[in-house]
Amino acid sequence: MTNLFIGFITIVATCCIYLIAKRLHKRWGYPFTVPIVTSTFFIIIILLVFQISYETFMIGGQWIKELQGPAVVALAYPLYKQRDILKKYLTPILIGSFAGVFIGISVGIFLAKSAGFEEAIIISLTTKSVTMPVAIAINETLGGVTTLAAIFVMIAGFGGIFFSSVIYKMFRINDDVAKSVGLGCGSHALGISKALESGLREGSISTIAMIVSAVTVSVLAPWLVELLLIDS
Amino acid sequence: MLNICQVIIHIIFLYCIYRIGNWIQTAFDLIIPGSVIGMMILFILLTTNVIKAAWIEKGANFIINNLVLFFIPATVGLINYLDFFAGPGFLLILIALFCTLLVIASSGAASQWMLGRKEK
Repeated sequence: MTNLFIGFITIVATCCIYLIAKRLHKRWGYPFTVPIVTSTFFIIIILLVFQISYETFMIGGQWIKELQGPAVVALAYPLYKQRDILKKYLTPILIGSFAGVFIGISVGIFLAKSAGFEEAIIISLTTKSVTMPVAIAINETLGGVTTLAAIFVMIAGFGGIFFSSVIYKMFRINDDVAKSVGLGCGSHALGISKALESGLREGSISTIAMIVSAVTVSVLAPWLVELLLIDS
Repeated sequence: MLNICQVIIHIIFLYCIYRIGNWIQTAFDLIIPGSVIGMMILFILLTTNVIKAAWIEKGANFIINNLVLFFIPATVGLINYLDFFAGPGFLLILIALFCTLLVIASSGAASQWMLGRKEK
């Protein structure tokens, strides 16, 4: 009974905090006021101040988490809606996402392994460029630390928002389509918001790139993890 | 009210596809997450017109617009890792950032190269 009560309160409170965070972001619109950052920040502060453990929070949290699965399935819909653009740019998007996934994961595993981190932590690093629901799903399948995975996903998102222009200048990537592919593959939803600044078509290409690279990572990551992490 | 009902029914429908994806994953012992399998199934069913977009549209839009809510439980888990990131974990932040820029650069470069080839 108490658990049911605690669960109910956490769900309602989390939803309220989320709705407020969403409204604040609409008003301010800075990259750092995205609802996921502000709501996480508020909830952590509340938990720390009232000395509530994460395990208690998760009594309700696990119910919210249950919708992550259908959220991934729902991503098929934007992909379907943009199928004409998908067809038009199929090869650049496929090759781009494959290159990014392959290089990103391999270098990530190599660096983290050299630094001496344990396996589960390195697995959570491999999914950093993937949209959050898919990243969490892959970590649950491969035995990564989902929370760390979620944090790395956030870092990847902000990395794209703040540094993509510098990177594109450095590597002379000036094609709008290519830029959108890079943002979608590297920085998921936050990358899409950046690509949208250049136009709706760029946003769509970025969305497709994000979903395609999410599928690519879920196929390649287990294989690369086994090859580079477990065997050697 | 009708709208809310539609959203709920659509989400239940998406949830069923997710469950089917999970079932396929365990039945064939696949390493791809069940939800991703579910997404591929839905995409195929939509493009082959087996499922009409109108059957899932409202639920899918609702979930995608509020995607962030479902990940708050995961990110709040940071509370258990505050010490970790204050210590050796900080290095991982730098690695994650470096690799992200690498992904953006290589994806962008590779697709620009493909686009250039197409035009010639």
